[in-house]
Amino acid sequence: MVLFVIRRLILIIPILLGLLLLTFVMLRMGPGDPAAAIAGDNATPEQIAAIREDLGLNDPAVFQFFDYLVRAAQGDFGVSVYSNRPVGLDIAQRLPATLELTIVALLIATVFGLIIGVLSGVWRNSTFDHLVRIFAVIGLATASFWFAIMLQLVFSMDLGILPLRGRLATGMPSPPVVTGLYLVDALLAGRLDAFWSALAHIILPAFTIALGGLATIARFTRSSVISSLESEYAAYETAVGYPRRRIITPYVLRNSLVTPVTQIGLLFGAFVSNAVAVEAVFDWPGLGSYLVEAIFTNDYQAILAVTLVIGVIYGIVNICVDVIHGLLDPRVAETM
Amino acid sequence: MRILHAAMFAAVTLTAAPLAAQAPEGELVWGDTLPKGLDPHVVYDVPMQFYMLNVYDGLYRYVGNPPELTPWLAQGHEVSDDGLTWTFTLKDGVTFHDGSPLNADDVVYSFQRLLEMGQGPSGAFLPVLDPSGVEKVDDLTVQFTLKHPYAPFLAAIPLVSIVNEDVVKANEADGDFGAGWLSSNSAGSGAYIPDAGTYVPQERLDLARFEDHFYGWDDNPSPIDVVRAYPVQETSTRVLALMRGDIDATDSYLPTDQVERVKGAEGVDVSQDESMRIMIIRMNNKKPPFDNANFRKCVSHAFDYSAFIDVILGGYAERNAGPIPKNLWGAPDDLEPYTFDLDLAQEFCDAARAEGADLDRTLEIHIQSALDQTTQSAQVLQAGLGAVGVNVELIASTWANLTSQAASPETTPDMWVHWVSTYFVDPENWIGQMYDSDFHGTWKASAWYQNDEVDSLLDQARAETDQAERAKLYEEASRKIVADAADIWIYNTVQLRGLSDRVDGYKFSPVGSGGEIRWMSLN
Repeated sequence: MVLFVIRRLILIIPILLGLLLLTFVMLRMGPGDPAAAIAGDNATPEQIAAIREDLGLNDPAVFQFFDYLVRAAQGDFGVSVYSNRPVGLDIAQRLPATLELTIVALLIATVFGLIIGVLSGVWRNSTFDHLVRIFAVIGLATASFWFAIMLQLVFSMDLGILPLRGRLATGMPSPPVVTGLYLVDALLAGRLDAFWSALAHIILPAFTIALGGLATIARFTRSSVISSLESEYAAYETAVGYPRRRIITPYVLRNSLVTPVTQIGLLFGAFVSNAVAVEAVFDWPGLGSYLVEAIFTNDYQAILAVTLVIGVIYGIVNICVDVIHGLLDPRVAETM
Repeated sequence: MRILHAAMFAAVTLTAAPLAAQAPEGELVWGDTLPKGLDPHVVYDVPMQFYMLNVYDGLYRYVGNPPELTPWLAQGHEVSDDGLTWTFTLKDGVTFHDGSPLNADDVVYSFQRLLEMGQGPSGAFLPVLDPSGVEKVDDLTVQFTLKHPYAPFLAAIPLVSIVNEDVVKANEADGDFGAGWLSSNSAGSGAYIPDAGTYVPQERLDLARFEDHFYGWDDNPSPIDVVRAYPVQETSTRVLALMRGDIDATDSYLPTDQVERVKGAEGVDVSQDESMRIMIIRMNNKKPPFDNANFRKCVSHAFDYSAFIDVILGGYAERNAGPIPKNLWGAPDDLEPYTFDLDLAQEFCDAARAEGADLDRTLEIHIQSALDQTTQSAQVLQAGLGAVGVNVELIASTWANLTSQAASPETTPDMWVHWVSTYFVDPENWIGQMYDSDFHGTWKASAWYQNDEVDSLLDQARAETDQAERAKLYEEASRKIVADAADIWIYNTVQLRGLSDRVDGYKFSPVGSGGEIRWMSLN
């Protein structure tokens, strides 16, 4: 298993290189001039030319790419056009916000998805099951930015029970940075006010992101539970006289979890891309809203770095999924 | 984002009224955009004006609407007869936020820093001023020696914030003029002191009132002590945040459909102010068929101005006949705007065809995806030209792409849509930088217009110091450019800012769009 993880970690490197190369080529093929973006709206052609020379944009593209790789390997991702600060600093500040949002969304999707999926599998074709089916279809078909605005209108405007935007109440100092996750940092610092504020602020965006995934997990869990219930071992256990509850809780559930867990790993990617739209609507200061602005401003260094970070996260999450898969299913572990 | 507006509009009309204001008492929450960095000598965009007006001071400042050039740190200035030597006398007793005095050394350092770094607003000065041309005469006197006479010099003076020389120098690293540090810190003397500890780029910045500001606070008995800048990214969220009381002000470019909604909501209103910001459809005069004047006239007559301004924009804009905003000197009063007239358009297009122009190619108009009006205006033009048999295709793009494409006539699109905002209040900001061929290669001059007579008129206007004489030159140049139909000038902007009713004293100026907090109070 350890060897498996190490092997997979090493395999991430060529994937990331390929990802960077592809992004780099696409950015260079586009019409924008990074130097003009950096120089600003009122720059003279001379100013732009000077910046182009400074950044090495006149060098052959291959040199530029290798130069970028060398600098990136040393942790230097260049300066952002959008914020005028080192890209690394921006990402360090914004990554925790996106991670916190995605983790909470994943928790919501997993917990509710599994519970609902198991229940509709066990109570197959009941009214509950039919309702879940309808909601699952709606959940999968809903555009996240639309759903985000609906949640804002209902919970922030009409009912007034949840905040509209941001990560914390206006003017509230953020908790001292330990992990960058406000929920965790607030508890570590004993700041309950900040914890409740952060929790209230994260519910709507996290739920928006979770919706599609929740529906997916519920549907996969349901079919998995049903096929386990119809399996021979379940029939045998019933014949032996095990009560239904005893069959479901240890045996059926464990066997049913393998498929949904794989789904959770795949969902993570969908969550990150959802975050791009959702963060903008909720003013969530994460990587998604940063990426949107970076694209609008031709901020190529920021775009490359965010792509790299998302690639790394993706790779790690997939390894985690494989490991959990192995833990749940000894047959898989043997092949690792 | 357009779908987003539509979805929200539909949704909001179905739901009930907003909640009461929740913003903290005595604190103003400003929801407009923050600049992309805090160094006023590096960043030069519209949001930077908000930051400069509140955190820094300049020698002169624009106040009110129409904007009046008011002595600020300076008591006044003198200019030599040849227009080359400008001498500014400073007010005595001005202090920076750290309590140290602001004197001529700081002014010299600020201008030299700007010119040496060559970024931000330096473009307005570099052609006429070298760093060595800025000299201290005594502690309260600074002298500028220009390379050649340049009348818009004074109009551009408010672009330069005076920074605290000692503070910036103490934070220099590798000869960067302290730019790394100043991009997230401040060294100013302005009415508000930013709290650098709260700064998150484009997300958040808190400011506290500077009680010892040189201007004093006698004119405002209950000034705002704490300002929290909390930019809201998405228009829909911004409007909801205002209606909910989370923020006290939106940006000043509310979409028309949102204006009616904010007006109808309780506790909030929309401030409407005619600004100086021209909306234009650019034509690449060097690219056939746009090199044909008759064809450009055909396009100018094929745009339905009143459908766009009165129907689509609900009348929240003022028709502008030429490149200079009609509320600024230099814009001729008698200039006749192009009318929407498909018969005339057809005649001009036929004339262009007879002259050999190829109108069968599908023409491209590039729009800025983030800005709905660019799409709407392009569609209006597409419909008009379609009626005279000319095909137009809309291409989605971004500001960053379009401005870099403007570097050469080959890469500049056939047509594109943008605005020219007020950076400094002088016709030079519009007609001078848009139609003088010296500026070819910049986005402002992306029509690639070439007319030697106009070039010479604009040069004379720069060298002439008498404003009445300059006005005549600009009027003459305007008439020629409009007769050539160099571009399609659509309107002068009415700026629309959503404001909470608890804000008093909001004072609009085209420079900074009313973001100067020192005049405001909370009731």
